[in-house]
Amino acid sequence: MEVIPSLDLLDGAVVRLTRGDFSTATVYGDPESVLDSLNVPDDSRLHVVDLEASRSGKPLETSVVKRLAARDLRVQVGGGIRNVGDARRWLDCGAQKVVIGTVAADSPDVLQAIVDDAGAERVVAAVDVLDGEVRVAGWSRASRASLSEVLTSIASLGIEEVLITDISRDGVLRGPSFGMYRSLTGSNLIASGGVSTVSDVVSLARMPNVTACVIGKALLEGRIDLADARARAAMPNAIPERIIPCLDVRDGRVVKGVNFENIRDAGDPVECARRYEAEGADELVILDISATDANREIAIDTVRRVAESIFIPLTVGGGVRSVEDFRALLRAGADRVAINTAAIRDPSLIARCANEFGVQAVVLSCDARGREVMVRSGKESTAIDAVEWCRRAEPLGAGEILLTSVDRDGTNSGFDIELLRAVSSAVKIGVIASGGAGKLEHFRDAIESGGARAVLAASLFHDRVLTVGDVKQYLEREGIPTR
Amino acid sequence: MKVTLIDSPVANVANIARALRASGAELDVTADAATIADASKIVLPGVGSFVAAMRWLLDTRIDIALRDAVTRGASLLGVCVGHQLLFDASDEMGTTRGLGLIEGNIRKFDGPLPVPQIGWNRVTVTPSPLFEGIDSGTSFYFVHSYAASNSANEIARADYGGAFTAAVQRERVFGVQFHPEKSSTAGLRVLRNFVAWK
Repeated sequence: MEVIPSLDLLDGAVVRLTRGDFSTATVYGDPESVLDSLNVPDDSRLHVVDLEASRSGKPLETSVVKRLAARDLRVQVGGGIRNVGDARRWLDCGAQKVVIGTVAADSPDVLQAIVDDAGAERVVAAVDVLDGEVRVAGWSRASRASLSEVLTSIASLGIEEVLITDISRDGVLRGPSFGMYRSLTGSNLIASGGVSTVSDVVSLARMPNVTACVIGKALLEGRIDLADARARAAMPNAIPERIIPCLDVRDGRVVKGVNFENIRDAGDPVECARRYEAEGADELVILDISATDANREIAIDTVRRVAESIFIPLTVGGGVRSVEDFRALLRAGADRVAINTAAIRDPSLIARCANEFGVQAVVLSCDARGREVMVRSGKESTAIDAVEWCRRAEPLGAGEILLTSVDRDGTNSGFDIELLRAVSSAVKIGVIASGGAGKLEHFRDAIESGGARAVLAASLFHDRVLTVGDVKQYLEREGIPTR
Repeated sequence: MKVTLIDSPVANVANIARALRASGAELDVTADAATIADASKIVLPGVGSFVAAMRWLLDTRIDIALRDAVTRGASLLGVCVGHQLLFDASDEMGTTRGLGLIEGNIRKFDGPLPVPQIGWNRVTVTPSPLFEGIDSGTSFYFVHSYAASNSANEIARADYGGAFTAAVQRERVFGVQFHPEKSSTAGLRVLRNFVAWK
């Protein structure tokens, strides 16, 4: 998938508007210095919008487009192109393509004339969508035609590329509308609007009908590094995503509750662990939910028995208060240990464990109600923001974050995607999504929209509603790589 | 088949021992240099720091024992940091010399992805006794910050923001950067191939 930087121009400068409102313009400076600061290579395609032209129809940025084209950038220009003359003017300035919006949706005959003059290969049709409806004239009104009619008419003219913007996502960094792109039948879609993390870029690159994406605000704000995004977009399937069954263990048995309460028995830990490995689990998590001193030995014995019966990585958490607790679990066969309450009380525990055992062994387990960190199995508030806490834990030595939504835990109602996005875009280390898995789509959404690098579920697997194999087959069908 | 597993304090020996036994090995777990020098099939495990692991090999003179055993025709399999130790040197903490059984250096990842790599990764394999019965594209479990790349002895590669060497073979010396003992069925098959190899 091609990653195309996008610059909106006003009065010769690069600016950003939020939801098309001119009164909210943020100015970033002249285009050349912005391109240099973003490390945009000179052979890059560049998406340029002349905001004044899109507002009043007067093209003001022709000299800028001439300068950019002279740098060998492959410039495509949009903004208020309403007839053959408008399109011709930009092409004569050196633009390689013109981006046609309102006219493409509302006036097929004008679009036809532009195609006849410029050639279909030099035209990108741009369609703005809000709640499934095509919006035109600066998003001010709905098009006369439906989205599928518009796309059919564009395709019939031989135009290959269609840039689709979800207006509700534009400039607000909430992530692209993956569901909308998935529902569209056309090929060679250019996704636009809401791309705010490298994970968004990877998720779009996994969609077979999306061949390019346009990124504006996130590049300008430094949320996405262009070179990183391009490297990841070139190989979106390089690394398999992981599915992790979780065994909540108490008194040597697997148990499960709802919202951390109403605990019931769900089986023998060794039997569950063996079954999950056979189903294709990538890793197992054991959470010791009793974790009182009296039951500590039973829990360690459970860990030992499970570790001895599987050949996949094992992460163990629950009641880890010290480097010695951490060491005891590693000795019992855990590959990684999750720290929760004790790290909140004393963050240096993360650093001490990382120094002693390596960052790969340290998992920060963060339970959140809304965005607030909860401790003591989700019972006690802390007034600490989960995103801030995770951001802080990374440099201390956390190798990965196990992020559980207390509100969603055991409810089967889906992961808290907003929380996941907020945390996964704030840290470089991986985030394991936990709390709320109820159906196949939830796993997809946690990875695709939430930016999770692994997804954890418990009751769904214990109750055999789904097997790990079901989930992996589904993800593969949805274009998400698994082992 | 008898296998000598080096009982390194800088490795999770219990896990690899269990996996080797499950793969048909009759294990001798030892840190005795003389025993290792006489062994015919040896596994060198390792996790964590290259520097600490190499220091221990030098202190115990197991470095010499391993070179002697290989010269005499023993088979050797290095796992994770054990694999890295087979190379000439590592850039970890300046430059630290390795066993020099495989040419090349170990370097830190410098791509766009988080380091260490923790997780499963697809491996492209070339025909080798070690990967008998394993399809190219099979995933193995990795935990590491350093790796070799483009080794002349490469028999498998993977990509983590850039290609790296996932396994090597030079005559009877093998190394795998991944953890076969944590790689489920595929990992056990690699161990079984090594254990059964004549």
